[in-house]
Order: sequence, then structure tokens, then C-alpha cells
Amino acid sequence: MRAIRAVSILAVLLLLAANAFALAPQGDAYRDYLPWAGLGLGGLVLILLLVLRIPTGAHPTAQAALPTRTKAPANQAEAEIVSFLALMQDKGRLVDFLMDDINAYDDAQVGAASRVVHAGCKAALLEHFQIRPLREEGEGTRVRIEPGYAADDYRLLGTISGAPPFVGTLVHHGWKVESVKLPHVLASAGRLPTIAPAEVELT
Amino acid sequence: MAASFSLGIDLGTSNSAIALADLDTGESRIVEVTQVLGPNQYGERPTLPSALYIPHPDEFPPNAFPLPWNQEGEPAIVGQFARDRGALVPDRLVTSAKSWLSNPHIDPRQPILPWRSDIAEAKLSPFECSRRYLQHLKDAFLYLEHAQGRALDLADGQIVLTVPASFDEVARSLTAEAAKAAGLGDVTLLEEPQAAFYAWTAQAGRTWRDEIADGDIVLVCDVGGGTADFSLIAVTDVDGNLELERISVGEHILLGGDNMDLALAYSLHARLAEEGKTLEDWQLLALIHAASAAKITLFQDPTLAEAPIAVPSRGSSLLARTISTSLDRALLEQVVLDGFFAITDIDDIPRETRRSGLQEFGLPYASDPVISKHLAGFLGRSLQNVRASETLSALVGARTETRALMPTAVLFNGGVFKAASIRARVLELLAYWNGGQPVRELQGFEPDLAVAKGAAVYGRHRATGRGIRIRAGTSRSYYIGLETSMPAIPGFRPPVKALCVVPQGMQEGTELLIEGREFGLVTGRPAEFRFFSSAVRSGDAPGQIIPDAERELQETSLLEIELPPVDDLQAGQAVPVEIDAVVTPLGTLELWMKHTNSDRRWKVEFQVRTE
Repeated sequence: MRAIRAVSILAVLLLLAANAFALAPQGDAYRDYLPWAGLGLGGLVLILLLVLRIPTGAHPTAQAALPTRTKAPANQAEAEIVSFLALMQDKGRLVDFLMDDINAYDDAQVGAASRVVHAGCKAALLEHFQIRPLREEGEGTRVRIEPGYAADDYRLLGTISGAPPFVGTLVHHGWKVESVKLPHVLASAGRLPTIAPAEVELT
Repeated sequence: MAASFSLGIDLGTSNSAIALADLDTGESRIVEVTQVLGPNQYGERPTLPSALYIPHPDEFPPNAFPLPWNQEGEPAIVGQFARDRGALVPDRLVTSAKSWLSNPHIDPRQPILPWRSDIAEAKLSPFECSRRYLQHLKDAFLYLEHAQGRALDLADGQIVLTVPASFDEVARSLTAEAAKAAGLGDVTLLEEPQAAFYAWTAQAGRTWRDEIADGDIVLVCDVGGGTADFSLIAVTDVDGNLELERISVGEHILLGGDNMDLALAYSLHARLAEEGKTLEDWQLLALIHAASAAKITLFQDPTLAEAPIAVPSRGSSLLARTISTSLDRALLEQVVLDGFFAITDIDDIPRETRRSGLQEFGLPYASDPVISKHLAGFLGRSLQNVRASETLSALVGARTETRALMPTAVLFNGGVFKAASIRARVLELLAYWNGGQPVRELQGFEPDLAVAKGAAVYGRHRATGRGIRIRAGTSRSYYIGLETSMPAIPGFRPPVKALCVVPQGMQEGTELLIEGREFGLVTGRPAEFRFFSSAVRSGDAPGQIIPDAERELQETSLLEIELPPVDDLQAGQAVPVEIDAVVTPLGTLELWMKHTNSDRRWKVEFQVRTE
């Protein structure tokens, strides 16, 4: 549950970063792919949000069967998400980047700042998520989707008919998280953690 | 009771790690270390940064740093967050505590760290810092194994703790004592370059014996974040079996990859200043990190001509004030390869800078940054050491070198050597010193956490009695200073003679009584002896007298002993004693004063000589 939340947050952040990247001058070479990346990430968020709803809706009795379970503080999940945001801010200045007014700066400045975000957030991403493409084939090649595939691993486009196997062109290779290793966050009673503390230099 | 697992602990100057070896298969794996990652946050990392942060009482919310095995948390923070936080508040940060253990001018039990800091909170001693790192490693190990369903009892384990080869007996026994105080019990000590060698034999599997042969001399060249450590291992064939003997160890050199990152950052800083871009102190810190990352990128991908660097501003506007520059290959090679690994001559060794009267007593950072010169100095001293003993001379065979003992193969260790071009440069340097004859690199170099893994492998060899062992023994010879009795002459200080009490290479688990040298100790009155050592006098035999200790030897510490009242002797009467040297099976040196007329003996304590 915690992992799904974290992945969905991550996807939203990457979506925003991808849009920002489209503005950067270095983004030219990738500009063709960015709308697709945006689309893919948006889709991922949608799927995740749906997945997020299923357990709570589908197994209400399972929850009720465990009345003695120690209840986590109400804001534990939120505290964890904020901590993750704090991590991306700490390592890659992500919140600074997104909260800034991007229209006031030229592409060179946006490019320089995006290097800070890219280097830091990528390092944090690789440290906490074991992430891999869903399909190893190159984008643009013909791929085959075998019967019994996980429906949420694929989004089929174009004319969908008949029974699997399906054959088509790989537009986006997808991303999959193998494992998530986030720091343990200890909930502070009733208070959400700080994303970035105010810094004051004492003299 | 037989050990059921082997635990290797690498207590590093900058990073520490633990590895666990399976006694049956010999496989070793790194055990991640649970540590504080931020206020109210903890998690696992492959290593524990050897950093300690002493927070101000109002700096963080109360109880902000609980650990799974300690809900209250320690007042001082150890690990990743300590390092991150301390980079911004350096006067509350302790680093390199380990190097202070071998500092001859400072008593490592005095609370002196953070060094030269005026904080109001209680300071800690280098010994106490090492103890806390070890305790953290122990607690984290037991916690994680337990959390994963393996309840291990340390008493069932063979525990091996690594120390720099350059550590003398005082620093070694302090380390062993810190481990004991941390609850690790009696640990076995192992020199780090030897651990790297064991790790190499383990990961190369059965093929490692094909890579080395009779007559080889292997240089273990270990350059980590903050220190450089060298050792030579001789390979001989005895009745068809390869035998290994560590024949020489280097000095404690405080020089490593961090120095390279700093040098790069300062070069880039100077370049930015020329362009009229100024950096705040904080940005310089970010520049060091960025330069380090750019260095790795360029070394990893030889096709890149440059790596971009962006230094963020400190304020919240990232877009307005990010400074960008780049690290190009020419600058990288000029700073790292030519600056630290210059092609220098074999007799070009670092200048001695010791003994200037007004020298500050800080950590003895290497004053000469050229690692090539330190390596040349080491190989020169190694030849001197080998020549001093017939056994060692015979071991390395007939050699024509006159200035240095040249290795035939080299095993690299340490993060610095992940860069293929740095390895290539060292090989080029060795070939140059070797008259053009190449020195081969032992393949299968795996620098990540090799020392911890090697320590676990060695522990397995000890526990099972299987597998290769490097013959080592004490890396130095040790001497006790004797007062010279001669009439006082104004303006002339008589030379101090020294008696050899421990020969170089004295094996673990052996004992040596220095016969024919009686000392008279008076009960109830403390007696002090000066204690000397040498890493280049392999030929000295126990009982031998060195005429001028101050010129020939290095002063290590002060020995102190106070005899308790002895039943059958009146107080104030001299007790005749002889010196009894013991190297314990765990690898620590003990000196005892043995009563000549009975079996009674008293242990001598090492005191740090403070000037």
C-alpha cells in the first residue's frame, strides 16, 4: 500500500519533470517522446490510483476480522509521502524546482537547474526503487503479448479484437518497480514532517 | 564451542561495513547497516559512514533519532545523517576518529573530538568514537539478522576486525579493546590489505592459484577515501603448495580519494572565479559532491570529453541561481592522474616534515599529495627491511634492485581504483621503476567492500581450519628504551639504547621470554619505559641492543607498570623481573614483567606518549 502510494507520487513528479524537461533546450532530442512519456506516466498514475482503491473496497471484511491489530496513527501514510517528497527535495531540489516560476527564466537557466534535479532525483530513485523496463525490446519493434499476460502491465492501443497473443508495435517499453526500499518513517503525533526546513545561518 | 558463522568488520576511516561468511560454502555477503537517515527516519545502507554528530540540545525535536533497537536514541548520531548534517555544521562533526588512534601525540582516551571545536556539549575521545561505531555495527547486525528470522548469538561467531597495516601495537590493542567495550567480545585482528587479498582469493574461486606463482611478490595497493595503505606479500612454493607471507607494511598515509575530489573542486572553483562567478561556502560543498560525481562519470565512460556540473544556489529559487560549469577530461587528468599519480622517479620520496618545533598537533595529513612518491618510499623501505634479515632475503630470492623492492604483481583495492585509467597509470609507473618490465595486475578486482568480505573469509578459514592463510606475525619489531649510564656532560644528551623485545614477524599465539636481561622494579612505585618500534629492521633478534634508539627507531608509546605489593617482599624493595612478550592468538601484543624467581607476572600497560 505504502509502496503503491510512493510509486504514484513518483509518477506524478516524473510527469511534471518530463513536462519541464520539454521546455529545456537539451530536451530537443527527446521532444518527440515527451508527449508519450507524459501519457504513459499519466496512465500509470491512473492505474495506481485505481489499484489503490481496490484493496480497501474489495476486502472490507478482512480488515474487520483483525480488530486487535494495532492501529497506525491516522497520518502515518501521509507522513510517509511527505517524507518521500522531502527526500526528493533534499537530494534533487524537486520541490524548489516545481514551485519556482519557470516562465521567468530562459532555457539555459532551466537546463542548468534541471541537471541538479535530474542528478539528485535519479540517484534517489535508483537508491530506493529497483526499477526496470517492462519490455526489453527496443521501442518501435514488433512485440508479442502472450496469453495470460497481466492486463495492468499493458495498455493496448489501436484496434483491439480477438484473443491473445496480440502482436503490435512497442510504443513505450513501460516501467516496472521490482522492489521498494524506503526509509522507515516514525510518525510524529498529529504533525506532518517538514518537506524542507527553513535554513538559518547563525552568525 | 565451534563457531557457527564468521563475521568480518571493516572499521574504516571514512566508511565501515560488515560481512557475514557461510562456514560451509565460503560465500560472504554484505549485511546492510540500519542507521539514522534523518529526524524520525531510519533505513538500511550498505555501509555506515564513520561519522558522528553531536547535536545541540535544541537542534532537533526531543527523541528525534530512535533506532529499532534503541527507542530512546543516542545523544550523538552515527552514520549517514551524521555525515550529511555535519557537512553543514562542521564543528559538531567527528570524522577520521580511527586515524587519531595511531596519532603519537594525542592520548586517544582523552575527549578531544570534534577537534578544535568550542561546543558546550561533552566531547568524545577517539577511542569512544570507535567504540560507538562498533557498537552501532553490532546492534544493527543483530537487529537485521533477527528481523530477517535469523537469531544469531555473537558468542557463536568468529569475529574478525580489520585494522590498517600501518597500525602499531598500541593502536591495534586500542581497537581490540574498543571492540570488547562495544560488546563484541575478543575479536581477531586482521590487516586491511591482507583482508583485500583474502577477498580476492574468495571471489576468484579456485583459479586464484593460477594467477600467482613461486617467486611472485604481490603489492596490495589500497587507496580509500581518506587513507592509502600498502603491503607486500611474497609467494613461495613449499613442497608443491603455495605459501604466502606478508613481508612489509607501509606507513599510515592520510591521503585518498577525498583529497582528489577536493583538488578537483578547488580547480573548478578557481576557474569559476576567473569567469566572475563566486560561490558561497555551502556551494563549495555542493561543488565537491558534483566534482566527485563528474569524476566518476568521466572515468567510467572514456568516450566522454566532459561532464556537466551544476551547483545549486542555497535559497529556494533553483532556477535563478544555479551555476553551471563542466569538468573536462584534460583538467581531470591534470589534477588526478598527474597530480596524485605522477610518473616520478623511484628515489623521489616524500619530504620528511616531522619534528618542526611549532608543528600543530592535528592529524598528520600527508604533506605531499603525490601517491607515487609515497609508493616509492614504501618500496624503498621494503627493500631495506627485507635486506635486514637473512630469512626474508632468502624468501624473495636473489634480486638485483638496489633502490626498491619491486613487486611482480599488484592487487588494487579501494574506490579510487575503480577508475581504469588510474589503475593503468599505477601499472605504468611500476613498469617504469621496473626498467620497462611490466608488473601484472591480478584480475578480478572488486573494490566494493572487499575488506569486510575478506575479513569474513579469513574468519571462516580460522574457524574451519581450511583455506589459505597468509603468514604475517607482527609487522614491526619492538624495543624497550634503556637509560644509558654515563656521567652527565652539559649540553650533551646521552643516546638512548634499546632492547629488542619483539622481533618482526612474531607469530600469533607465541610467547617469548627475554632471558639474561633483568630489570629491578620497586613495588608500589610506578615505573616507566620508553617504547620504540621499527618497520624496517626484520633482522633484529630478541635481546639485541640497538645503540641509538632515537636515531634508528620510531618512538611508539610509553610503557607503564606499577607492581602491587608482593607478599614475601618488603615494600620498597626491588623485584627482579624479565620481559615476557606474548602475541595472543587474536593478534594483539601483550608485554609482561615476569618475576625471575617465580611464575608470577604483571602486565605492562601501553600509555600514549604525549609531548
